[in-house]
Amino acid sequence: MKSLKIIQINKWFLFCVMLLLISCEKDITVDLPKPDPKIVVDGYVEEGEPIYIILTRSEPFFSPITQNSLVNSVEKGATVTVSDGITTEQLMEIDTVVNGVTLRGIYFTPLMRGTFERKYSLNVHTTKGETVTASTYLSQPIPLDSIWFKVQENHDTLGFVWAHLTDPDTLGNCYRWFAKRLGKDDDFIAPFGSSFEDKFINGQSFDFAYNRGSVDNSSAPDDNNIEEGFFKTGDTIVVKFCSVDRSVYEFWRDAETQVSNNGSPFASPSNIKGNVVGGLGLFAGYSAAFDTIIAK
Amino acid sequence: MKTIFSFLLSALFCFNVSAQNKSNRYTLSGYVKDSKTGEALLGCNVVIKEMHKGTNTNTYGFYSLTIDSGTYNLLINYIGYKDQLIPVDLNKDQSININLDPTTIETKEVEIKAERADRNVNGTEMGRVQLDVDKIKSLPAFMGEVDILKTIQLLPGVQSAGEGNAGFYVRGGGPDQNLILLDEAVVYNASHLFGFFSVFNSDAVKNMTLTKGGMPAQYGGRLSSVLDISMKDGNDKKLHGSGGIGYIASRLTLEGPIIKNKASFIISARRTFIDLFLRKPFIKAGSAAEGNSYYFYDLNTKLNYTISQKDRLFLSGYFGRDVFNFRSAQTGFKVRIPWGNATTSMRWNHLFSDRLFLNTSLIYSDYKFEFQANQQQFDFRIFSGIRDYTAKVDFNYFPNILHNIKFGGNYIFHRFTPTNAYARSGDVVFDLGKVTRIYAHDAAVYLNDEWDITEKFRVNIGARGTLFAHVGPFTRYVPDPVFPERYTDTIIYDKNKIVKTYTNVEPRFSLRYELNKASSLKASYTQNYQYVHLASVSAATLPTDVWVPSSDRVKPQFATQYALGYFRNIKDNEYETSIEVYYKHMKNQIEYREGAMPDQNLKNNTDNNFVFGKGWSYGTELFLKKAAGKFNGWIGYTLAWTQRKFPEVNGGEQFSPKYDRRHDVSIALTYNRNKRWTFGLVWIYATGDALTLQTERYAIAASPPISFSEGTFSNNFYVLGNYGKRNAFRQKAYHRLDLSATLHGKQKKRWQGEWNFSIFNVYSRMNPYFIYFNVEGNTQDGNLQIQAKQVSLFPIIPSVTYNFKF
Repeated sequence: MKSLKIIQINKWFLFCVMLLLISCEKDITVDLPKPDPKIVVDGYVEEGEPIYIILTRSEPFFSPITQNSLVNSVEKGATVTVSDGITTEQLMEIDTVVNGVTLRGIYFTPLMRGTFERKYSLNVHTTKGETVTASTYLSQPIPLDSIWFKVQENHDTLGFVWAHLTDPDTLGNCYRWFAKRLGKDDDFIAPFGSSFEDKFINGQSFDFAYNRGSVDNSSAPDDNNIEEGFFKTGDTIVVKFCSVDRSVYEFWRDAETQVSNNGSPFASPSNIKGNVVGGLGLFAGYSAAFDTIIAK
Repeated sequence: MKTIFSFLLSALFCFNVSAQNKSNRYTLSGYVKDSKTGEALLGCNVVIKEMHKGTNTNTYGFYSLTIDSGTYNLLINYIGYKDQLIPVDLNKDQSININLDPTTIETKEVEIKAERADRNVNGTEMGRVQLDVDKIKSLPAFMGEVDILKTIQLLPGVQSAGEGNAGFYVRGGGPDQNLILLDEAVVYNASHLFGFFSVFNSDAVKNMTLTKGGMPAQYGGRLSSVLDISMKDGNDKKLHGSGGIGYIASRLTLEGPIIKNKASFIISARRTFIDLFLRKPFIKAGSAAEGNSYYFYDLNTKLNYTISQKDRLFLSGYFGRDVFNFRSAQTGFKVRIPWGNATTSMRWNHLFSDRLFLNTSLIYSDYKFEFQANQQQFDFRIFSGIRDYTAKVDFNYFPNILHNIKFGGNYIFHRFTPTNAYARSGDVVFDLGKVTRIYAHDAAVYLNDEWDITEKFRVNIGARGTLFAHVGPFTRYVPDPVFPERYTDTIIYDKNKIVKTYTNVEPRFSLRYELNKASSLKASYTQNYQYVHLASVSAATLPTDVWVPSSDRVKPQFATQYALGYFRNIKDNEYETSIEVYYKHMKNQIEYREGAMPDQNLKNNTDNNFVFGKGWSYGTELFLKKAAGKFNGWIGYTLAWTQRKFPEVNGGEQFSPKYDRRHDVSIALTYNRNKRWTFGLVWIYATGDALTLQTERYAIAASPPISFSEGTFSNNFYVLGNYGKRNAFRQKAYHRLDLSATLHGKQKKRWQGEWNFSIFNVYSRMNPYFIYFNVEGNTQDGNLQIQAKQVSLFPIIPSVTYNFKF
């Protein structure tokens, strides 16, 4: 759905104006008020996996982000519970070191596992006495009919992953796309514009394509040369296609809009709509269906 | 309000009767024209010297004075022209057409006569400025393109929306609250190149009048101002041409008689050539930039035919387009964005008698925007626009020297095309909704009398009755209360079925009290309704902005304005000064709901995404102008406040709109050194724009970060911002100095060349255009830093333009 993203129009406008004009820029210091830090939830529900959240606090906009600040911004000692409509379970806080990073502020369910067609309700109670809540639904996944790799015209071995989707007749389906090249990517990566809804495609059966996403500020050679954004023949590609709540779609739509609009004089400032009541962030259920192809 | 109407109607009837009864009264009437070009001169003073009383010519250069028989001297004066004194022995109705000679640079200082009626002090108009385009041509122009919209932004009370934005704000009102008329046709988008230049080619424009307060009843439909632009009629004496070559565009104008002194034409064209110039040799075939281009062009034409002293026909047209092309050779992504206006007006002037002037107009106005994108099997198209068909009658009745009565009516049929889209992937057409159009009837009647009650008191009293009906076919999507961008139900209205009707009466009143010959006090009270609205998702005005009508959901915007002013002329009218204070209250103001996305206009009613609130503004404007002489120009200063309050915006707290500027200063000066050299200077200062910034940030994983089964953790986060209060931050102040020098060729030659040298932003002030945040480093290395960067568009830019006339 990337080529249909209307938000990109603003970028083209800006690009055009910039092309035509001589512009100059300089660093400035902006004096902003220091707001009270808000609770930030980054939570996940996936089928067969523990339910977990990363709990942090927002920080002043210009404060530098270091290992320390990441550690300091986590929210420890909170009482966190999740209910799946049948049982309610208190989450355990992990305090562990992975890849040299001390992970704190991560809470997970020791017993409960994500199950399709259940609604999960989160309740966080901090040591300071604040309460935030959120809920998400883990629906049955809607798998892609098929996926294939197609070389882009005049691009030799480079191309995009194509997919065929049949959207169910009911309005309100939302999706998010991730992909991973086995042996090349550590994790599933969501390309820009990874989330879409069925407002304009309800009940239709159609083809679409995604380019390859990259991790933030990637230093990998193929993220910094002509192969950037492309899959390549020979790649083994796993596509993780998820059905998501509307709030998940809206969060990522808004977040990507914000990132792409950064400072654009043509954009309007608006906050990202999350589903966390009393705080920031997102509690997301991802109903995944997996597909693997070898690009040729 | 109906009482005002009936009062005025009966008053009108009485004048008519009394005028007929007084057999010793006669009428002096005619047209005032430029002796060299035959152009009608509007707004000229026509005064009976002995009575110190007179009138002004109307838009078509017509005047009419009904006075007792006697011997008089008729004095006609107009800035930039030599005064004319005509002795008249009035013992019957007389028609006198007057040709005024323009003053040239070699003419010595214009003699300013003490008895000359000066409109600044004498008229009831407040907040009204008239500019001759020839007068502004010696001011510095950005990249040498004389731009009338940029010039009016140098007037107090009119604020520029900034570089790269042709929008302007009048007395705290939004950019859609200005009615821009080109030969009576509404121009819905007055900008080229996303706002860097206006659509008005200065070679084709004669005159413009800006009304920002005390709006007379013949104008309506907008809350804040009217910019009335008159195109040149075309020289009816001799064939002439003019043109210019500049950095941005080239211009060519031809004008001349079709039948000498009776019929004439003008045709004026302008096109940018930067795309032609860049294509070869700078852009190599096969390079990434190949296939990218941008151009705009416009064409103005006008024909006029004087059938007799009683009848005159005008036909004028404007057509302009901007076209932007983008093609990515790498991905095959192609974009084409054309947009522009087209207008046509047909007008017929008829004199029923030498005291009753009629103009009838038929007008067509159209604005279109389109975005076409294509990548392999994907096609995507968005389009929007507005089209108006207008019929209009305007009477101007001069019963006697004490009254100048205007009345008439107009009817507009609007066809709105809100954002529509079409998308296709191969053979599958996505369902983006049916092409929607919205139809509305928009009618108005008005009556306005400018009346000298006593020697000292003059009032301008009027009222405008308006009717707006939104009619079918129309589909109302009833929004879901939980997800307002989705709908639960639709209501279908058949063709011509009325969806919603609004009727209103707008009183207009202004008063002048003359303290003495050189000074006066003025006051005005006006109410205005606005039935069409421009909703903008962004803070800037863009060609993508869509006009929408008042509907069952959108109430008309409404404003009440109060103004007071002191006007004084110094040194026998050599200097004009004024100070005005105003307070304006605006109801039913419109904003997009916070977080609204452009695609929510599809398969939905645009107005379902709106929220409504109120606004108010107040301020004071100081103006000092020297209209004549070798050294002339003006200084303006505005001290102003404007605020908005929307229950659903900024948590219900009041906020400053972007253009709430405390101080605005503008200086515009020209110096005619001698026959060859003219110098110009512009300096402006404006308080920085209000801006909303993110005050805090947080991190969210780009994809689920932990895999418990594989025991992995990824550290790939999005850093997201959270905005603080709406427009709580201010950009740095904007100021800039521009200089120009014009070298005129020898006047005697048939071909007259002229070089214009301009320096924009002389001291290269880095004015803020926008601020963005650069994220440096990354979360994986834990050295992420956010740095604010201010982008400025234009450093010092010199330019040279060559203009010619033949």
